[in-house]
Amino acid sequence: MLMLISVLFPILSGFALLLSGTEDRHRREVWVIATAVFTAGLAIAAVLTGYGTKTVLVRFTQTVALTFGADGLGSVFAAMVSVLWVIASFYALEYMKHEGAETRFFGFFLASFGVTLGVAFSANIVTMYLFYELLTLATLPLVMHAMNGKARYAGKTYILYSMTGAGLGFVSMIFLQYYGGGDFTLGGTLDMNAIAGSENTMLLFFVLGFFGFGVKAAIFPFHGWLLDASVAPTPVTALLHAVAVVKSGVFAVMRLTYYSFHYEAIFGTWAQVIVVCAAAFTVVYGSANGLRTPHFKRRLAYSTVSNLSYILVGVAMMTPAGLVAGVAHMLFHAVNKITLFFGCGAVYYRTHKEYVYELAYIGKEMPVTMATFAATALSLMGVPPLCGFTSKWMLGTAAMGTGLTVGWIGAGALIISALLTALYLMSILFAVYAPGEKPIHAENKDPNWLMKGPLVALACLCVAVSLFAHPLLELVSQLLGVLL
Amino acid sequence: MSQFLLLFLVFFPTVCAPVSYLIGRKSKGMRNYFVAVVTGLELAAAVLLMTSGEAAVRLDGVCGLGLGFAADGFRCLMTLIAAIGWFEATLMLREYFAHSRNRNRYYVFWLLTLTGTVGVFLSADLFTTFVFFEVMSFASWVMVIHTEKPDAIKAAETYLAVAVIGGLVTLMGIFLLYHLLGTLEINSLYHAASAVESNGALWVAGLLTLVGFAAKAGSFPLHIWLPTAHSAAPAPASAVLSGVIIKTGIFGILVLSTQVFRYDYNWGIVMLALGVITMVLGAVLAVFSIDLKRTLACSSVSQIGFILTGIAMQCLLGHHNAMAVDGTLLHIVNHASVKLILFPAAGVIYCTTHTFDLNKIRGFGKGKPLLMLVMGIPMASLAGVPGLNGYVSKTLLHESIVEYIHLVPQTAGLFTAVEWAFLFAGGLTAAYMLKLFICIFIQSPAEEAHWAGKKKYASKLSMGTLAGLVAVMPVMGLLPNKVMDGLAALGRGFMHGEAPAHAAEYFAWANLKGSLISLCIGVAVYLLIIRPFLTVRDCTGVSYPDRWPQKLDLETGLYRPLLCVILPFIGAFFARVAEGIVEGTVHLLSDLLYRGQTRNVCPPEDEEFAAYDAKPKSRVGFRYSFAYSIILMGIGLSLTLLYVLFKG
Repeated sequence: MLMLISVLFPILSGFALLLSGTEDRHRREVWVIATAVFTAGLAIAAVLTGYGTKTVLVRFTQTVALTFGADGLGSVFAAMVSVLWVIASFYALEYMKHEGAETRFFGFFLASFGVTLGVAFSANIVTMYLFYELLTLATLPLVMHAMNGKARYAGKTYILYSMTGAGLGFVSMIFLQYYGGGDFTLGGTLDMNAIAGSENTMLLFFVLGFFGFGVKAAIFPFHGWLLDASVAPTPVTALLHAVAVVKSGVFAVMRLTYYSFHYEAIFGTWAQVIVVCAAAFTVVYGSANGLRTPHFKRRLAYSTVSNLSYILVGVAMMTPAGLVAGVAHMLFHAVNKITLFFGCGAVYYRTHKEYVYELAYIGKEMPVTMATFAATALSLMGVPPLCGFTSKWMLGTAAMGTGLTVGWIGAGALIISALLTALYLMSILFAVYAPGEKPIHAENKDPNWLMKGPLVALACLCVAVSLFAHPLLELVSQLLGVLL
Repeated sequence: MSQFLLLFLVFFPTVCAPVSYLIGRKSKGMRNYFVAVVTGLELAAAVLLMTSGEAAVRLDGVCGLGLGFAADGFRCLMTLIAAIGWFEATLMLREYFAHSRNRNRYYVFWLLTLTGTVGVFLSADLFTTFVFFEVMSFASWVMVIHTEKPDAIKAAETYLAVAVIGGLVTLMGIFLLYHLLGTLEINSLYHAASAVESNGALWVAGLLTLVGFAAKAGSFPLHIWLPTAHSAAPAPASAVLSGVIIKTGIFGILVLSTQVFRYDYNWGIVMLALGVITMVLGAVLAVFSIDLKRTLACSSVSQIGFILTGIAMQCLLGHHNAMAVDGTLLHIVNHASVKLILFPAAGVIYCTTHTFDLNKIRGFGKGKPLLMLVMGIPMASLAGVPGLNGYVSKTLLHESIVEYIHLVPQTAGLFTAVEWAFLFAGGLTAAYMLKLFICIFIQSPAEEAHWAGKKKYASKLSMGTLAGLVAVMPVMGLLPNKVMDGLAALGRGFMHGEAPAHAAEYFAWANLKGSLISLCIGVAVYLLIIRPFLTVRDCTGVSYPDRWPQKLDLETGLYRPLLCVILPFIGAFFARVAEGIVEGTVHLLSDLLYRGQTRNVCPPEDEEFAAYDAKPKSRVGFRYSFAYSIILMGIGLSLTLLYVLFKG
């Protein structure tokens, strides 16, 4: 029941904010923070009390129902989203002060929280599909927030890509409903006896579904929307396009691969070859493009494209170790990338600098912001002992552990991309700290604590997660029901 | 107790790094004392560990695979060298840094690098080695870029590129090793490796792992970072870079050579090729160099070649490797001690002259006997003058080659060539040291030199520290059987060397002969090549022109074009092809659907984001487009019909 409330409460609260149309900034701030904190508390309470339980909201037929439940994967995802959403809310309140139409923004911002939790707490593919589509609609106004040419174009691209993905995912969903259906279980819901003889059809529908839900995970060739969407205000890019929306895509792919289809039946087939190759290609493609992109935020967006496919490489290994590695990278990348985007946004907010080559000595002007940026950049690069290294190591060993050729392809892509990642992030750090120009007299331009606080908190979270990566991942694999 | 010591040694500097930053915000003097005390405590702990015997500790679950540390003779010795290096360099830093900026930042990373280095030396498995190797690589990058001058930034770029690329290739190799062997525990690698059937895969894994370690050690062809980075870093930092940090690469190579490929002939040949090329090439570069610090850096490359040759002989000699093992270890120790003195001494010269250019510091040492001793003795030691410690390790390395010639007469020709290359490289060492010595201490200074009148050139603390270290060298060199053999014994457990059948007679004629040949070659090179070709004499005195042909620079000739031009071109080509296929399809379809409509999308204005026009245009040609749609639909239906008809 708590799950249901945690899903519905922020949606209703968001719409209430929209309807009230309040222009009182203080009132809105209280409203947003209260809703975010309360919802996060509800979600975590729902995970703690309701772990393993299910609630049926509506039952349409024997196999089609709106069901909510908190299993291991959903709990991990919900917890991650809740923690980051609260932190991001503080940052957004400060950042949006100059963007206008704040009430509309925060209305949809809160509604998206509920919808994302809905994706996390869905217990079958129909429910997940519903919330997955709602997420597109709820976040569209956030992407188009500026309502200028760029933003409207980005919004249209977003909706087109998402609808394409929805179409492909829908086909896959129908197949799943036809040959089984029912609630997510690790190992799949398909009736393998009924499928016997038409395995290739199953694989085809799996590939369609993988790419369909992979649209939100920005897998090549469906990555275009994510790059255009980086015209959105930074809190949106950081929270939705590095955490909530794109991770919902990854989450949906995990649900599809491990909890709907039989991953063991896909292991070693042509379908696996296709999805691994696509993911591996995206990994390298994203990093390579990141390296050539001078636009700061867009470079980070390419980096997100690449890193999402790291997760997909892990998922596509079709082994429990791959799933755990994917979840690990999902968590660690979320913490790292949201900090990087926040840092990028803070720079834009204070100095209106958008390009990497403009950033000379910004490290001296904004020491705190850039220190958090540097720490998480090192982590994302995979510098041990920070958390990015741990998850990449797990991904690599999981890929090698399959003993398949695709495992080598995956691991090779990780290594090449790690190099490119180091290059595109280090070149930012070079520009920020040692541009080789005459040092200017630097006045402190760090933002106020409403913005700096989340950055520092996230950087500390990154270090804490790095230090306690092992207990955390043991908990995760226990929750997933997978022995490492 | 020793387990606590292990963890203390590794993590204590890291814990102190932020503290030093905070103290530095308040008081610079206090911070300097604090860092000196920290490194002093580290040194004390290293000595304690040395006396407390073997130990091991594991931190399960940190960083994925868990970290493991162990202490044995070799590891303790390397840790001790690191601690001595850091302590000494910290003492030297105070004077060197008197007018420098960003010292707070520097000290933080100085301590982090110490953690990384000690972590590598004490690691019990390759995973731990790699983790700390990377920590050290990234932390020491800040030391290289410290001055933020253009040449430092360029050197730091190269350093980082080599470290990152090398590190990742090594990571791939470690993945493979882990996959093949099922363990990364250094002590069990040998057994696991001998059980592996596919030799090819093991070699691929081994060679990949080698890349990063060889790059850090400064082995050819990845030595390119070393001369520039050493020149750019502050002199005390160069001291630990050269004396200690590049030895972490040697540590990794030793793990491969004495565990995974123990007694493997082919591996030995690979290492020998690397070693011989590196030692000759580095020495040639040093002879041509006209910069004091660069000469010392190139000399480091060359000495790494000597050490690699020793490692190669360990593999080749199999169970008869006693001399090679002892020689390798002692040369690591000797090279570290020599460079830990020469680089800070160069820093002393820099503090007064503000340059390392031989043309400008010429004659600086004239009338400074203490400086002459402090620099002259290590120079002579590295050149292999009997009576100093360098002679002992070179003799052992030389004898191991001679022994192999006797053991395996079939390949005597090849190894005689190796022996002469060894003696020649030793001769070049003598030659460039002679060049430096004569330049600094014999020739007279240029008249315009601004420092010419000054008497005081260094603080008592600096010179006292250096003189204390120098005093050890003759003791080691004159009592080799007492001091050096004891040190050598420490490495045998780690490198799996047999104890020698009898104590070596270092001062027998057969051994002295090699050294004398080398020294003669050195004097000949100095007189016949350096004086006539690499110096110019005119009325103002002697000057040293840069005669090294620019085209032979591997970095600007090969690596930079490859990495900055060719590879990006290939990558961009494939990326654009892939993008073109997708975009092309989309364009084709949208052209088909929206034929006749004016487009209202602006091309990306800043090459980044496409956008709609500011004012939306009304849709035109709707009717046309509707009819067109019906035609398209008709075609689609016809195709479906045809498919249905011809399918059955």
